[in-house]
Amino acid sequence: MEKRSFTDHLRSVDDAALLALFSMRPDLVTPIPPDIASLAVRATSAPSLARAIDSLNKWQFQVIEACAALDEPIREKDIVALTDKAALNVIPFLISIGLIYPSEDGLRLPYQLREVIGNEPAGLGPTSMAKLKLSALDEMPADAKKILSHLVWGPPRGSVGDIKNPGPGVAWLLKEKFLVPLDQRTVILPKEVAIHLRGGKIHKEQFITAPQLQGTKRDAKNRDLAAIANISTVLRWVEELLNFWAEEPADSLRAGGLGVRDLKVASQHLGVDESCTAFIAELAYLSSLIAINADDQILPSNKFDIWLMQTPGARWQQIASQWLITSRVSGLVGRVESKNIAALGPELDRVNATRVRTLTLELLKENASIAPSKESFRELFSWRAPVRRNSSLQEELVEWSLREAEWLGITGQGALSKYGKAFIDGEDLEIIDADLPKTVDHILIQGDNTAIAPGPLEHEISGALAIMADIESRGGATVYRFSESTIRRTLDHGKTGEEISSFLKKVSKTPMPQPLEYLIADVAKKHGKLRVGNTSSFIRCEDSALIAQIIADKKLDVLSLRRIAPEVLICDHDATDAMRLLREAGYLPAGESANGIMLTGPRTNRAVTKPRPPRVIGEIETPTKESLGAAIRALRTGEKSSHRQTHLRSIANNALGSLPRTSANETLDLLTQYIEKGQSLSIGYADNNGSVSHRIIDPLKVSAGSLIARDHATGELQTFRIPRITGVAPL
Amino acid sequence: MTDGPLIVQSDKTLLLDIDHPLSTECRRSIAPFAELERSPEHIHTYRLTNLGLWNARAAGHDAEQVIDVLIKYSRYAVPHSILVDVAETMSRYGRLRLEADPVHGLILVTTDTAVLEEVIRAKKIAPLLGPRIDDETIVVFANQRGAIKQSLLRLGWPAEDFAGYVDGEAHEISLVQNDWKIRPYQELAAEGFWHGGSGVVVLPCGAGKTIVGAAAMAHAKATTLILVTNTVAARQWREELLKRTTLTEDEIGEYSGAKKEIRPVTIATYQVMTKKKNGVYAHLDLFDTHDWGLIIYDEVHLLPAPIFRFTADIQSRRRLGLTATLVREDGMEGEVFSLIGPKRYDVPWKEIESQGYIAPAECIEVRVNLTEEERLLYATAEPEERYRYCATTRTKRNVVETLVKKHAGEQILVIGQYITQLDELSEVLGVPVIKGDTPVKERERLFNMFRTGELTTLVVSKVANFSIDLPDATIAIQVSGAFGSRQEEAQRLGRILRPKSDGRSATFYSLVSRDTIDQDFAQNRQRFLAEQGYSYTIIDADDISKEKI
Repeated sequence: MEKRSFTDHLRSVDDAALLALFSMRPDLVTPIPPDIASLAVRATSAPSLARAIDSLNKWQFQVIEACAALDEPIREKDIVALTDKAALNVIPFLISIGLIYPSEDGLRLPYQLREVIGNEPAGLGPTSMAKLKLSALDEMPADAKKILSHLVWGPPRGSVGDIKNPGPGVAWLLKEKFLVPLDQRTVILPKEVAIHLRGGKIHKEQFITAPQLQGTKRDAKNRDLAAIANISTVLRWVEELLNFWAEEPADSLRAGGLGVRDLKVASQHLGVDESCTAFIAELAYLSSLIAINADDQILPSNKFDIWLMQTPGARWQQIASQWLITSRVSGLVGRVESKNIAALGPELDRVNATRVRTLTLELLKENASIAPSKESFRELFSWRAPVRRNSSLQEELVEWSLREAEWLGITGQGALSKYGKAFIDGEDLEIIDADLPKTVDHILIQGDNTAIAPGPLEHEISGALAIMADIESRGGATVYRFSESTIRRTLDHGKTGEEISSFLKKVSKTPMPQPLEYLIADVAKKHGKLRVGNTSSFIRCEDSALIAQIIADKKLDVLSLRRIAPEVLICDHDATDAMRLLREAGYLPAGESANGIMLTGPRTNRAVTKPRPPRVIGEIETPTKESLGAAIRALRTGEKSSHRQTHLRSIANNALGSLPRTSANETLDLLTQYIEKGQSLSIGYADNNGSVSHRIIDPLKVSAGSLIARDHATGELQTFRIPRITGVAPL
Repeated sequence: MTDGPLIVQSDKTLLLDIDHPLSTECRRSIAPFAELERSPEHIHTYRLTNLGLWNARAAGHDAEQVIDVLIKYSRYAVPHSILVDVAETMSRYGRLRLEADPVHGLILVTTDTAVLEEVIRAKKIAPLLGPRIDDETIVVFANQRGAIKQSLLRLGWPAEDFAGYVDGEAHEISLVQNDWKIRPYQELAAEGFWHGGSGVVVLPCGAGKTIVGAAAMAHAKATTLILVTNTVAARQWREELLKRTTLTEDEIGEYSGAKKEIRPVTIATYQVMTKKKNGVYAHLDLFDTHDWGLIIYDEVHLLPAPIFRFTADIQSRRRLGLTATLVREDGMEGEVFSLIGPKRYDVPWKEIESQGYIAPAECIEVRVNLTEEERLLYATAEPEERYRYCATTRTKRNVVETLVKKHAGEQILVIGQYITQLDELSEVLGVPVIKGDTPVKERERLFNMFRTGELTTLVVSKVANFSIDLPDATIAIQVSGAFGSRQEEAQRLGRILRPKSDGRSATFYSLVSRDTIDQDFAQNRQRFLAEQGYSYTIIDADDISKEKI
């Protein structure tokens, strides 16, 4: 009897089974294979099988190992014998994911599976060629016992000094064929012996059920409170970091990314550690909120302004969803093992990052209300996704995912919050807007030149205040401190002293203390008294005493100033240097244009270049039901076509004489009808020159004024523009 | 979300809205573990520090209580990281204990061997340790008690000190409250100190710190060494003690440049203690001459470095530090806390004022202009000379004259930094001047004349910054100062804060030259007071002269 192939198996299953297969192994439908045969080839290829195996949990993997240890055809009872009754629950799953398949005589493994699992599944050697008397094992000599104890749990190979001159134990084992010589120095333990010694089972320990997640129970109120605090914090962090970079753009390294120094500066500004700063920077990068301009400066992009105008919920969703799908791992920044990896740099992509993150959230969701302990979570995680290949970082990734979920407020106090749940379930996030502390529209100014915003400030006020004062303390409230330099900064931004005072009076709930009023007036009076030009680089001041002071100032000697009039100095340096040095020396100069107008700096910096967020190269996204349906239809058609291509071609030729004619609306209507039925159509189609040809197609999808269909003549997917379809008729 | 008075910031500051109905209750609840940083008009700032949390642990509060208080009064959700941090920090306290062992003397004991292993490997600690007794115990050299406590604190593993204090030589001292009563806060402060063992009490100038000292002595009932800033202060202490306690003249000795008496209660000056003879501090032995049961450091923020070092060696004696302004421009506040002891009592100035124990005061910054000639001189002056130029401008002299006339009849102090300026002023105003070279006798005579009202105006240099008790002075005019010193400004204001018999408020004038570094320094100087809620009013010198007409 001919052995049933995997292709035959796939041909025999129904759409529901294909749908299940595709949703578990999305790599099989990207791109959509032309027919079942090619699907089978892809599904049995080593990379795809490896991917499928990666998605197994520990128990499923143990069962598939057991299968691999058995000879085909495999009987269910043999699997059970090697593992546990519970294996019966797993077998249907393994079939549905295409790692084993049923044939008439029992279960079979896809061609390459053994190779992917390895030649020695579960540390078992090959089947013995000879007939073995396993009962002899029970009375084996002690020497032999000792040797076997090293080999029994694998690896099954062992080296001996010389096969021709073995020790007594090895000699006995070789004689009894319990060891098989491989070459001069190597022996191998046959599978049967190992299984016998392992007591009939192949695993030392069977991981049938997932370990229980241990941790602290958190009540809903507290975890949501903590989460909303985290959410408002992370939004504030992003905003603050970008505002900071707008003022003082960070430089991108030549190799790309943010330098260690800039990272440190930013982290000091934010008051968080560097790994958190790297995380925030990456969030902004992923969401296109920053861009690197032509001068290699890292600047907020225009999208940042758009982002700021959205509701907090929408803002949060944007950054959180980018975080979820990115393959970039900000946790790598600043590790001792990888010193040169920079935030925003090119080396942060890790293949399994997205998978780990998704699974982390999934596990948190399954164990809602528990803030898991690190160890327990790691254990559960490694049951669900045992470390097999390319996963050296998995433990760290899990830890980082938990940490980042907390920073983002997906969790609060370590347990999934209601916002996190809504986010995972794709629900509306308006609850965030409702639960965030209400914004306040006032500040309290105090006599010690501080101002306190007793809650999150309205955006315009906080923006203006951020220039007028330095932030001293952040959190639920913000403490601002006014000083000469902050007032000067505001004046540099083009505000006048009166504007500052009246703004503060307007937003302050408490009367403005006199010292602050004087401070503003004093600085405003002095500000701009000195004007520094760029063209000829001059310094002029109506106050000749001040000019005298400057010319006498030793700190300004480097400028090599020359007095050209009682009120004017010139110097050889350009104006920027001159301004800097003057300010350093304690003066308050302002720039001046050629026609004597005071220059003030731009309000905020924005990059002119288009933001280019990093490419996501992680896991293949899980396709939607609809697209999978389309894929299956395509596959079925492909199947039909490959069988009947010649037949159809002749029909097409016959039909050429009688092109169907339908009106545009009728065409669309018919198309949608037939797509649902999955029927092949005969259409007339006009080409660029207007000549109409006859095509036989299987319609798949109508989108954006085009029909996507498989052309029977070529067997390939093709896009037909609907207005050009002259008519449709069913075949 | 509650509507509490407290906002817990992610940087561990606590903002307390004092206009909130629950603010007093909340203040009391957070005071044991949070340190008061600023107390201006509307929002007071407290900070959670490791030291504060450990002190709270030492006083018997656990992390659970602290977290409860934070959550109870917080307006917004308390950042999770803060809660974790509080719990973690507090759990570090008490893993190491210093104990007195009958056999080995001072020992360091742990409940957590890993911690002990960690600390004995620290470079700074190893030399202080003797032989290891067992896994959990190690001998500490007895004279290194202070040093090891300090080093452990820096390592983040504070040791709980069970070794106790020596009682010292007993000496009967009690308060005599016949015509006066100890104020509630003074009693709280003295008790807070006594229960804590050693520590610092921070009270505003004029709030009666001497009484706190006397009350502490009455608790200790033992021989006491009192360290003060100068001889005049020493004599004031003596007067106070005679008046307030059962101590008699014979029991109190003065140890200063002039006299070297050692009695059951000895008052010594910092100056004599730090005087070197042939390169050694000859008088530091005073610490050992008696079995002192209590050592009081007056104006502890001025503690000189040699005494710092010596204090580390006498950790088994009770120590009380008294100050109004624990701000040191040299940033040594931490040293004070670790050597004398943690802050045991602190209260916002304005609160004492509202209770009527210190006089309400108005602070006025008078802006004066330099003359045209002075401006040019100032502009071209060497940087190190600049402050002197602008601080001693002629214009100030005129303003002082005007102010003194305006407040004629009141007790006025004119305070300054530069001797020439003070001499000039004394000449112009026709009043005596007290400065560094004025003999102690003469100083006392002048201060007494001032107290009795024979003299209404006095020009003083920085010698009168501290500890000088002038109950009826209501006006202080500051013409120049030690650059940007915050505590000097506060201490000078303190000279006029004694409550007046007629309940009059005090006025503090600070004369500042406009558009010069004098103004920059003034801003820094005023910071401490502004943070205590004293808001400066700024007026122009010309306005004062106009007022006169």
